[in-house]
Amino acid sequence: MKFLPLIWSGIWRKPGRTNLIFLQVCVAFLLFGVLQGLKTGVEHVIGDTRADLLLVHGGLGLVDPLPLGMLEGIKSVPGVKVVAPVELFGAVYQNPSQKLGVVAIRPDEGWLDAFTFTIAPEHAAALRSTRTGAIIREGLAKTYGWKVGDHIPLMSTTAQMNGSTDWAFDVVGTYTDADVGAGRETILINYAYFDEARLTGKGTVKHFNVALSDPRRAVQVADAIDRRFANSANATQTDSLRELAQSQLQSIGDLDFLIRAIVSVVLVALLFATATMMMQSIRERTPELAVLKTLGFTDRAVFLFILVEAMVVFVAAAACGLALALVVFPLASRIIPGLSMPLVVVALGLACAVLVATLSALVPAVQAARLNIVAALAAR
Amino acid sequence: MNFTRQFLGILLMNLSGFRQRIAPVLTIIIGVACAVGVLVSMLAMGAGARRQEIADVRADHVVLVTSGASYGQSNISRDEVATILGLPGILKGTQGEPIVVLESMVPIEGRRRVTGNRIYFPLVGITSTVTQYQPQMRFTAGRMFKPGLHELIASNPCARQFTGFEIGDRRPIHGSDWAVVGHFEQGQGQQCVVYADVDNIMSIFSRNTYSSVSVRLQSPADFAAFRDAVSANPALHVEAQRESQVVEEGFKQLNAILNFVSYFVGTIIAIGATLGAVNSLYAIVDSRRRELATLRAIGFTSGAVVVSILVESILWAFPGALLGGALAWVLFNGLSASPFGYSFQLAVTPSLVVLGIVWALGMGLIGGLLPALRAARVHGNHLA
Repeated sequence: MKFLPLIWSGIWRKPGRTNLIFLQVCVAFLLFGVLQGLKTGVEHVIGDTRADLLLVHGGLGLVDPLPLGMLEGIKSVPGVKVVAPVELFGAVYQNPSQKLGVVAIRPDEGWLDAFTFTIAPEHAAALRSTRTGAIIREGLAKTYGWKVGDHIPLMSTTAQMNGSTDWAFDVVGTYTDADVGAGRETILINYAYFDEARLTGKGTVKHFNVALSDPRRAVQVADAIDRRFANSANATQTDSLRELAQSQLQSIGDLDFLIRAIVSVVLVALLFATATMMMQSIRERTPELAVLKTLGFTDRAVFLFILVEAMVVFVAAAACGLALALVVFPLASRIIPGLSMPLVVVALGLACAVLVATLSALVPAVQAARLNIVAALAAR
Repeated sequence: MNFTRQFLGILLMNLSGFRQRIAPVLTIIIGVACAVGVLVSMLAMGAGARRQEIADVRADHVVLVTSGASYGQSNISRDEVATILGLPGILKGTQGEPIVVLESMVPIEGRRRVTGNRIYFPLVGITSTVTQYQPQMRFTAGRMFKPGLHELIASNPCARQFTGFEIGDRRPIHGSDWAVVGHFEQGQGQQCVVYADVDNIMSIFSRNTYSSVSVRLQSPADFAAFRDAVSANPALHVEAQRESQVVEEGFKQLNAILNFVSYFVGTIIAIGATLGAVNSLYAIVDSRRRELATLRAIGFTSGAVVVSILVESILWAFPGALLGGALAWVLFNGLSASPFGYSFQLAVTPSLVVLGIVWALGMGLIGGLLPALRAARVHGNHLA
């Protein structure tokens, strides 16, 4: 502890140089934080999506409608707790650029178990009792100024029995969705009302959501469902929500290689730059170090001084850079909604900082420790 | 003249002494090489995607888009199509039919159980006029689908990437088997596209409107007249746009993301490399104080010192830029990437390398500024 002032004065011997190294390390770790945060953040987003919620859809993806009658068949598969039919269609509000996704569901007993939505009980009850009711995603209330009680007219390409393609719903509540893959502009309506009112495709759904009684058996239940319908006219494909998120974010994962390459290139360049600076610094300080040794400081103490000096500058600068990364990170989450920077990245960054500091200070520190007093003083 | 001689003298002296200062010089070169290499490789993604997108664009292609909708999401009715077929300026095909391509796109998704990889490809219902609309489209195997039959033709990337697209293979779509009867090459496109008869697709998926209508004009010069004819017709709710415009529009978002990421990362690394260069040049200047003081004492001006340090800094940055550009080219040119679900090959173009060099020279100039000013403050009196 009593050597702190000595180390401190060593750091600030050339303030300009130290400041520049500080900034350089800071910038490198800002980049490290953002890129590594992106990579780890995506992994976390995938990890956070529910693996115990299954989606049963037609073998061709979401284009093939499935008959509502399959519901009982899916329910009979062991391990299935709740089956919820889902029908989707697109609509626009007022003008073609204001697109909305309309999700038709059946608010039966326990239906929310099969979704990632959070809905206040009174809003769910209101949807059950209002045939033309709609629960809107929270953000929409702000975007279009909708509130409970509003009557919202929508245009679509889905025809009603009377031939009209205009639909209207009454807002009865709002919901939030924990699923990152879900659309932002969506409303929930009653399947019963929609199915009765539409002209074509009656009695079909896009997919079924399935909640499980035992979340650990997701894979087995998914396979059992697909086997159950394998040779029927409606072969199914069952995926967990996590698998769907994975394939959606896989495209970002393709950048993994690039991110890893950039991060390593930056760290290697940083290592080289700081190592040369440290060596230069030790060369300039040769006489001072010799004096220190003359005063009785051991080789080991001198070695540690140099190492600690580097460590202090690096860790402080890296902490600064990672803090900046935390501030900048929301910019990156424009690309992937729901992304946040995991704190494990900060820990990883600090560990990297310690490693780079050690590596770049190692050679100069050994040089300083091996310094011969007589030779060093004579060279002056 | 005197200034030039002084400047050249100092510069040559500086450069000849680089053996003694190899470490700081290497720091500059490596730092700049990294910054330029990363920037060029990242911009190569955007350049590659763009090159591929615009490669097949033709000036005589016009796309009709429902007002307000984006490409491929139009709703164009059969009545409107009948009107469009009668518009002036459309090139006539071999049988005298107007070359108008009607499309109805259905995204198909499936997964191979074996690998677990998800396959996504657009199944495009299309009219057989497509072969005359895109003269660069040619069959490498098999033949065109026959209207009315359950037949598919697939672009070569499908057969390369996925199983089940060999000629004669059958794919179950919507409850019936469809046979693959042809493979085709479509210019530069690297996407898997599957074509089938449009009327068939529309009746099976119960669609009443086309999702896209494109027209080949007699000549690119007819565009203005054609556009006016479309907008003047009250029966049409569509807008005529040049293919290039539609492609640029569709590409804008990806382009914006790629550019944002590239310049964001590139700028940060450049700042880091510049800081490293400043530090190295300070070290170089410091180790040369004696020589500089001697020069000042015998009459060299401070201006010549400043300019020579700046030029030296730029000269060290230059090989760094070449190294970075070369590394980017060797490692990444032609590499296939598919960020954001869009596959293309990275293209390290000469203009990107030039951009990298300019970027590097900027780093050299900015990085040399402060050290050059410090060198200028060295005075003949410092010799003492």
